[in-house]
Amino acid sequence: MLFGPLGPSLAPYVRSSRSLTKWLTPFANWYANLSGYRKMGLRYDDLLVEERPDVQRALTRLTPSESYDRAFRFKRASQYSVLHKELPKPEWTKPEEDVRYLRPHVLDVEKEDQERRTWDTIEVTAKK
Amino acid sequence: MLRATRLARSARGFATVVDGASGVKVAALDNGQPTASVTVLLKAGSRYEQKPGVAHVLSNFAFKSTGKRSALGTVREAELYGGVLSSTLSREHLALTAEFLRGDEAFFVDVLASFIASAKFTRHELAEYVLPTSLAEAQAAKHTPSTRALELAHALAFRNGLGHSLFADKHVAESITAEDVRALQSQAVGDLSSVAVLGTGISSDSLSSLFDKSFAAYKSSSAGPSVAAPAAPASAYHGGSTRVSFFHGQAVFIGFGTTSAAQLPALHALSAHLSPTPAVKWSTGTAPLSTVIPTGVTARTVLLPYSDATLFGILIEGADASKVGEAAKKAVEVLKTAADGKVASEEVKRAVARARFSVAGAVEAREGLLGVFGPKVLAGDRVSVQSTLEAVEAVDAKALSKIAADLLKSKPTYVALGDVNTLPYGDEIGLSA
Repeated sequence: MLFGPLGPSLAPYVRSSRSLTKWLTPFANWYANLSGYRKMGLRYDDLLVEERPDVQRALTRLTPSESYDRAFRFKRASQYSVLHKELPKPEWTKPEEDVRYLRPHVLDVEKEDQERRTWDTIEVTAKK
Repeated sequence: MLRATRLARSARGFATVVDGASGVKVAALDNGQPTASVTVLLKAGSRYEQKPGVAHVLSNFAFKSTGKRSALGTVREAELYGGVLSSTLSREHLALTAEFLRGDEAFFVDVLASFIASAKFTRHELAEYVLPTSLAEAQAAKHTPSTRALELAHALAFRNGLGHSLFADKHVAESITAEDVRALQSQAVGDLSSVAVLGTGISSDSLSSLFDKSFAAYKSSSAGPSVAAPAAPASAYHGGSTRVSFFHGQAVFIGFGTTSAAQLPALHALSAHLSPTPAVKWSTGTAPLSTVIPTGVTARTVLLPYSDATLFGILIEGADASKVGEAAKKAVEVLKTAADGKVASEEVKRAVARARFSVAGAVEAREGLLGVFGPKVLAGDRVSVQSTLEAVEAVDAKALSKIAADLLKSKPTYVALGDVNTLPYGDEIGLSA
């Protein structure tokens, strides 16, 4: 997972503990707002490194409307980047809109690649 | 010791229909062959589809990912066992077949059961694997004169239901979603009494218990709403004629349809009488049609019995449109001769013998066995060709001329495919319409 498309993450460990989740959630929200992508109208999954074959394959699995929206968000963000401006506040990505729309597909592709590696290197023994 | 028991079992050699605990109809035949096969027959042919082309896409969705294993896992594991998985689509049924060595039944039956109970029908598999395959098959079929002619003939003869195309071409495939495919599959397996499991090289009891065991493992996860058994409106024969410009060969189909099952034995005999396929290799044969068709033209009879209708006809193919037209004219003449009762008694005997051989020979090979016995198992009929053989044997010269006359009186299905400027019209070759 460390070198996977999604990078290293402690989130599963944090989520497994209720008190840790409770303590860290405000910091996580603060950090997400601070990183600024929401002010450009982007979602967290728009920032995934897409120059990899597995993420490219995951991108083909988005529904037509999801890929249209993704392209729209990129265009809008580039335009505001050129203008050196943030989006008007009502157009910022709201925390509830910031869903991981790409992550499940990336995980699926990753799992398939892993399975292919397993089958490619499997050692077969005759049944007793 | 093992060999002796196998021989004893194979001596029985008769398919018995068992209703499995899950409700599926199970029939198996063990002739002592070294390999075994299991086929699941679903009522998911193009006849039952709600949207054009879905059945073809479903047939290519077979053995893709299920709740238990991924598409890659299925293929790799089947390869390790040395088995072959295939799916065959007909107008009425979708057959999923696994062929394997004796002893590997448990795995392959589980693969088939998991497709029935927990197929996933993911959107990305549709786009990445299934649609490209379907489109390539549709493209190949589109450029094959015989397939194209029979597609057109079915559409003319039966319009809806049996008239639906077997292939999902580019235009219809665009609008097919994974949900459409899932709907057709769940309609076909919703009522398990319309599913047949056929085995060769395995006993029906062990097949039945293996299937039930595999299927029960999925049952809890797939307790969906019960779906009514797939039903299609009864077929009606319409007939008609069409001419389609085509650049990959010339084909003419002269066909007749019937919805009466009583005519089938006589049609078998007539088909054998007209068939120009020689009994001896490298000869033209002495069948009435083979002696009159010009060289460079091939003709064959087509007899397609469905559950409630039959399409019979002569398919003529060749590179030269005028020669194909001439052969079509001769074929109708031969049919008219038969209708007039001018068939010599030894020719009738020969036709009946050939028909009986082809009926009996059809159940020798695995595919033929499936095509003949599958519908019988689903319909709950006696699984045997004995009755058909007896009925064909009873055909005499009178019955042969009667069936030919009946066909000529009915409205023909005439398809001219190729150079439409040269190929003859139906009335030019002596057809009634």
